[in-house]
Amino acid sequence: MCGIAGILYKGQAQGELGRDLITMLDGCQHRGPDSTGFALYHDTDGDDARRELRLRFFVGDGEQAEEAVERIRAKLDEFEAEVLDEEAEGRTQRFTVRFDGDLQAFAYAMEHAAKVASIGESLDIVKDLGGAHDVDDDYRVSAFTGTHGIGHVRLATESAVSPEAGHPFWATGFADVAIVHNGQITNYSKMRRRLEKRGFEFNTDNDSELIAVYLADKLAQGIPLQQALADSIQDLDGTFSFLVSTKDEIGYAKDNLAAKPMVMYEDDGLVAIASEEVSLNRLFPGRSLATSEPAPGTYRTWRRSI
Amino acid sequence: MATIDLAAVSVTEANRLLLQHGEAGEDVDLVNPDARHHLAVGLTHPITVRVRGSAGYFCAGLTDGPRVEVDANVGWGLADNMLRGSVVVRGNAGAIAGVAIRGAEVVVHGNLGSRAGQVMKEGWLCCAGNANFMAGYMMYGGRLVICGDSGEKVGQDMTGGTIYVGGRVQSLGTDAELAVLPAEEEQEVLAFLDRYGIAFAGRLQKIVNAGRNLRYPRSEPRVRVVPFFVGSERTDYWNAKVQEDIAVKAQIGRYRIRGYGAARPLPHLNDIAFRRDLTTVEPDPDVVAKVELATQVGGRFGATPIDLSMPVMIAPMSYGALSKSTKVALAKASALSDICDNSGEGGLIPEVRDAARRVVVQMLGGRLGWNVHVMRQADGIEIYVSQGAKPGLGGQLMAKKVTEDIARLRGIPAGIDLRSPSRHPDVLGADDLVIKVEELREATNWTKPVSVKLGAGRVRDDIKIAYKDGFDYACIDGLQGSTGAAGNEVLEYVGIPTLAAIMEALDALEEIEATGMPIMLMGGVKDGIDVAKAIALGAHGVALGTSAIIAGGCIACLQCHVGQCVVGIATQDPEHEKRYQVDTESWNIHRYLEAVRWQLATVVHAHGHASVYDLSRADLVALTPEAAEITRLEYAPEHAENALRPAVLS
Repeated sequence: MCGIAGILYKGQAQGELGRDLITMLDGCQHRGPDSTGFALYHDTDGDDARRELRLRFFVGDGEQAEEAVERIRAKLDEFEAEVLDEEAEGRTQRFTVRFDGDLQAFAYAMEHAAKVASIGESLDIVKDLGGAHDVDDDYRVSAFTGTHGIGHVRLATESAVSPEAGHPFWATGFADVAIVHNGQITNYSKMRRRLEKRGFEFNTDNDSELIAVYLADKLAQGIPLQQALADSIQDLDGTFSFLVSTKDEIGYAKDNLAAKPMVMYEDDGLVAIASEEVSLNRLFPGRSLATSEPAPGTYRTWRRSI
Repeated sequence: MATIDLAAVSVTEANRLLLQHGEAGEDVDLVNPDARHHLAVGLTHPITVRVRGSAGYFCAGLTDGPRVEVDANVGWGLADNMLRGSVVVRGNAGAIAGVAIRGAEVVVHGNLGSRAGQVMKEGWLCCAGNANFMAGYMMYGGRLVICGDSGEKVGQDMTGGTIYVGGRVQSLGTDAELAVLPAEEEQEVLAFLDRYGIAFAGRLQKIVNAGRNLRYPRSEPRVRVVPFFVGSERTDYWNAKVQEDIAVKAQIGRYRIRGYGAARPLPHLNDIAFRRDLTTVEPDPDVVAKVELATQVGGRFGATPIDLSMPVMIAPMSYGALSKSTKVALAKASALSDICDNSGEGGLIPEVRDAARRVVVQMLGGRLGWNVHVMRQADGIEIYVSQGAKPGLGGQLMAKKVTEDIARLRGIPAGIDLRSPSRHPDVLGADDLVIKVEELREATNWTKPVSVKLGAGRVRDDIKIAYKDGFDYACIDGLQGSTGAAGNEVLEYVGIPTLAAIMEALDALEEIEATGMPIMLMGGVKDGIDVAKAIALGAHGVALGTSAIIAGGCIACLQCHVGQCVVGIATQDPEHEKRYQVDTESWNIHRYLEAVRWQLATVVHAHGHASVYDLSRADLVALTPEAAEITRLEYAPEHAENALRPAVLS
């Protein structure tokens, strides 16, 4: 139960990504006061043969955090990942590493050291308890310039209120894929069992993580995001409006019952999507926007032209 | 012409100012709306309000009389429940535009979102562009004009009213069909379009209800009466009621509908007892004066709380399920005992408002008899989500009870088997609910308590949502709760017992460290001892439904659904209702309520407590292993003697 928002700056533009997402999420904070999260993408130069990965872990506070960080360092060492940078931020520890092995095995192993928020070349997921501005205070989200991103405000209903239960969800094991979701997947258990049988691991009991892994699996098989979204509307039961982001795309899918809201606005410079128009209007105060509401059972993607 | 700048004042402040301008008869420009929710909600004056931009959810909701113009788009629930007046939107409307309108004219120049006109009853809803999924869903009346394409499943489960489509009819919903459009009627529609400046040159197709689903093919047969206590006997397997269930199904070939609640043994308040031996308590006629029983509910967000002389309310029961005479008797009794009545579904009738000292009005998914005026007349507002007798399902009012009077009050066609919607059009999740609650508060200037009624299903999750969504208090109704009509298996097996429900609710609130949201418990509460036990467990109070109507003459024959109630309670037949003596029965109910008060006071006093809220779990034990498991009270069956023979109290 929640509110969602996403933005992509067209062309090669980088925007005030953090600030814009905070503005949009603050606009629909009434939909979810428990926690707020951001999936932020920035440009990577991508010249280096060995890829640089950004990792963020939930480590908690004090002694508990110190122990977690030790475990993470040992695990990174074990996988011969070279740590380039490391920083404590809020309840998390952020690492930049060089690693070019099997990312899925690496990611599953990291999960045993500490709860992973995200792993990616250009993705960084920041999520914690409280409102958009609370999370900004602890994680300096507003200082983040980037290319595109998605965000989420959460009202916990069935699962716990904790930072790692918040959105966005990283598609565990797949670099740079994230999702925010409003709704409820009713064939969650069946779909999860199917993916687990094929060796995928899940870090939460949240149905939104399932969507992330479901889509990332398709992408990994070379299926374009558009097609993956079309499939998701057929395969997933329930009520949903969700946004997905990859290294260079964002997209949405909406269920056939149209039970969850979504409004979008597009101009030459950007595309912005949110649960409610009030979030979009926050980006352009005092203006009447030519918005549209996606029809039930539809999907669409936008790609950065790089 | 006045101007209100929403960049400078809050929506609540803007709505207060709108009321002032309304009283002065002055038109208003709302500038910098920026798609904010609840603009012009609760306005009941015929002034023109111009929104200079986009509006959010529930624009012009719960209104009567104004003319509202929106320059750009609107969010969900445009003109929600609007009576007279009009709304014109230049851009697009989100989902459920024109929901539950009753007389208003709502015109959208762009497209309509999903489920436009859901449960609308009277008036016009029109769009120049296309409609979307399930336009006219469950509409009861009025006219829905779609100049463009209809969207899928147009007219799904419509009961009455007419839909006109100028473009493609993409697909018809269940029980909707195309009909011939007479020239005269077409001219009326074209004149309407013309009046609102919508250019339309095509041909209209007309869609109406096909009439296949309005009544059950066969009604429940008359059966010999199996009294509730026989039906709920613990011993028999093929007992009288089980046989009767089968016999009825053999006649009608479907599930059986009946009145009352679960007629099978369940863990209940009887299965816990007070640790203290109450059999030795000396009777004290003045005991009520010696302890504090009075309380309030509903002040969590600054509304005027509801005063109660004891922590007891009358449970919601509709005028429809019950006769008007019974509703009035309950209202009178509630006033005599200085507690609070409840309208139940179907609106607050003047006779009840006048007779009750305090009354809560309920809002259900069908929005039957619901509007801004009844909200303002009431002392509290309650969103019904579900009830203990049939969690997750809507009410059923069989055709015999859907008289002309009931139909007029509710805004529906007479003589149908009314199956009320099980969902609210505008509440599909906790996130929507929070916006809905705020709409109700805006319409009443934040002066009325807003509560929620929950049938006991997934209480743990539901109660957390209720807390987070900002309700003043929550009513939880267990499996033992009764109803006027529901499927037999639903009554028996859907939901969890009252005892388990209160425990889940309290555990849930503790889990999220929530404080300040009282729980009112209902579902089989039968006397003052039960009230004391419920409060000792942690409820703030209780609501009495079945026990109150039994006090007022009900014979518990389970035939409430038939509409031929022999004592004049569950009937709309004037011949049957004549048997009900309002004054006599209101005093009977009042005396019963006073007996509840006396028993409650006696238990409180016997424990040496000064206030009913000094009762606690420490005072209780469980008499059965099941009750001990549910309540986590000490299992102490030796206290059964105290419970079974409370000499003073029985």
